[in-house]
Amino acid sequence: MTGARLALALSAVALTSQAAVDPGAATAPRMEFVAPAPGSYTLQRIQPVRDAVLLSPAGTPMHLAGLTSRKITLLTFFYTYCADPLGCPFAYTTLTGLRDRLLAEPALAGRVRFVSVSFDPTTDTPQAIGWYGQQVAGDPRFEWQFLTARSVRELMPVLDDFGQDVSVETDAQGHATRTRHHMLKLFLIDESGQVREIYTLAFLQPQVMFNDIKTLAMERAR
Amino acid sequence: MVQSRRAVWAALISALFVIAAAATAYGDETCNSPYITNLIKGQEDYIHVWTLGVQGLGDGSDKLVTIDVQPRSPYYGRVVGTVSVGGRGEAHHMGFTDDRKYLWAGNLDDSKIFVFDMVKDPAHPSLVQTITDLPAKTKFIGPHTFYALPGRMLVGNLSNSTDKGGVTGLALYNNKGAYVSKYPMPTKDIGGVTGDGYGYDVAINPAKNVLLTSSFSGYNNYMRDLGALMKDPEAMKHFGATMVVWNLKTMQPTQVLSVPGAPLEIRWNLVPGQNWAVTAAALTSKLYLIKEDSPGHWTAKDVAVIGDPSKIPLPADISITADGKGLWVNTFNDGTIHYFDLTDPQHPKETYHKQIGKQVNMVSQSWDGKRVYVTTSLLSHWDKTGADNEQKLHAFAWDGHLLMPAFTVDFTKEKLGRPHHMKMTAKAAQQVALASAGGG
Repeated sequence: MTGARLALALSAVALTSQAAVDPGAATAPRMEFVAPAPGSYTLQRIQPVRDAVLLSPAGTPMHLAGLTSRKITLLTFFYTYCADPLGCPFAYTTLTGLRDRLLAEPALAGRVRFVSVSFDPTTDTPQAIGWYGQQVAGDPRFEWQFLTARSVRELMPVLDDFGQDVSVETDAQGHATRTRHHMLKLFLIDESGQVREIYTLAFLQPQVMFNDIKTLAMERAR
Repeated sequence: MVQSRRAVWAALISALFVIAAAATAYGDETCNSPYITNLIKGQEDYIHVWTLGVQGLGDGSDKLVTIDVQPRSPYYGRVVGTVSVGGRGEAHHMGFTDDRKYLWAGNLDDSKIFVFDMVKDPAHPSLVQTITDLPAKTKFIGPHTFYALPGRMLVGNLSNSTDKGGVTGLALYNNKGAYVSKYPMPTKDIGGVTGDGYGYDVAINPAKNVLLTSSFSGYNNYMRDLGALMKDPEAMKHFGATMVVWNLKTMQPTQVLSVPGAPLEIRWNLVPGQNWAVTAAALTSKLYLIKEDSPGHWTAKDVAVIGDPSKIPLPADISITADGKGLWVNTFNDGTIHYFDLTDPQHPKETYHKQIGKQVNMVSQSWDGKRVYVTTSLLSHWDKTGADNEQKLHAFAWDGHLLMPAFTVDFTKEKLGRPHHMKMTAKAAQQVALASAGGG
């Protein structure tokens, strides 16, 4: 699918789903302050990440613990056909912008990875996330892992551990549709597997996120 | 090719932003944290009331009372559920977690925090966890405000376990109920004002990276009979007179503001370009405006009086409208609700008031401002006595000019207790949990 077709398809999905989606408190994040300098503050140790077995684009079982340690990790949940303008596409834009900033500092970029885990193991097969990853994030200079699960049953403990809510929209007959409702969250995880910051929409301030990554990178140097 | 695809994404996202912006409003239905998802923009289905147990009344226990407020329901205006927590600990305030799945409810006496599941069956919340380690972990007691942050809960406290005075701090827990960290309220001079170390409410402006806190009084005062307290000049000195501006990211206090008279609830106007907050000082009966007068520098200014301060009306709770242009204020002593026009926040004007009863305390309004709910209990030792001790939840319709009674639940007749803080829920429309949606 070309970028234009993809955009058109997502546009259509967005327009048809908009009426049913409660926009909640969603507003584009604003930043009207100077971000504190990296290292001038300490990020809280919010919770450890529990291990789980997920699937790589090759269909290979992958331990989540191996992808949330040894590097500073930004982890988020997504689904490939998400069209909420302040959901997955917004996270994608934020993450690609951050990746580009990190790549300007190669030593730092080498210590950071992004991990995107699908909400929808049924549609988002290993092949599907592999294709999606190539389309939206393919850049050999930066580690960006895309994962899915064998089943919803195997995914649920991961969502529960992170406190990532998700529900499925139903049609007029009460049947589940493909549309997911979820609160956009990005989890910043340190090299020892501790969640150190959680960004929801109001906190998706790229300069702050960049400084947070640097703050974690500076911890090891101390 | 990559650049081309990026351009398409960027254009798409920009276009969709326009769609989203048209449907977006600001504020919330009862002044929730801006990090809370799924705000109820339409008709709420239930009001949940954190209720203080009264010895000899019903089971005598603190409880979460659920009232059906859906006009189409056959149970409209009736109590449909109660969850007793077993004992009396001065039930006071509540707050949702960021995902709105759980409601944290605190006790000012025994410092317990109860966590209720609000999703499985909103009509019948279930108690899933009791957090008891606040005093041990922090030496703070009297958990008052529960303010959602992403994946965690910031708890504003009233007192400390050492001398039970007003010096206290903030505590941070993750959403699983595990303690994360604590932040003492400042007691030194910051920006020319010395902090008193007292605490009360918590409110955040994410765009400004600012956390505001206010200040009340310690256990020694809030657990004491109000009549005796008012006659004790020394005790009356121990009320908060400051607000604190914090750098939210670093959790460091950056300014102490002088706000005499126990500033209580804080409400932000988060509409872009506004970025101001209001609070009401209980003892002086004044509304204060907290505003950034130059980049990074905040001021607090009294901008209106509430009722007749010489009669100590005791403003107890405030609720700002979704557009930030109006404010409900309840004054406990005269049982009156007031509406202030905040169109010019420098000069709020009272445009309406109504005496509801002998005493009123908390006020919550729906997102659209069409429904207003009022409860009557302040604190178990501060409530009026005898015939004046009305313990009710009053529901009103508001047409912009008049409050019209919808229904009242008498918590004494229902043998429930003293109704204090309220939160709303709505049944999830056309959604099911992922785990039950099938798909393997």
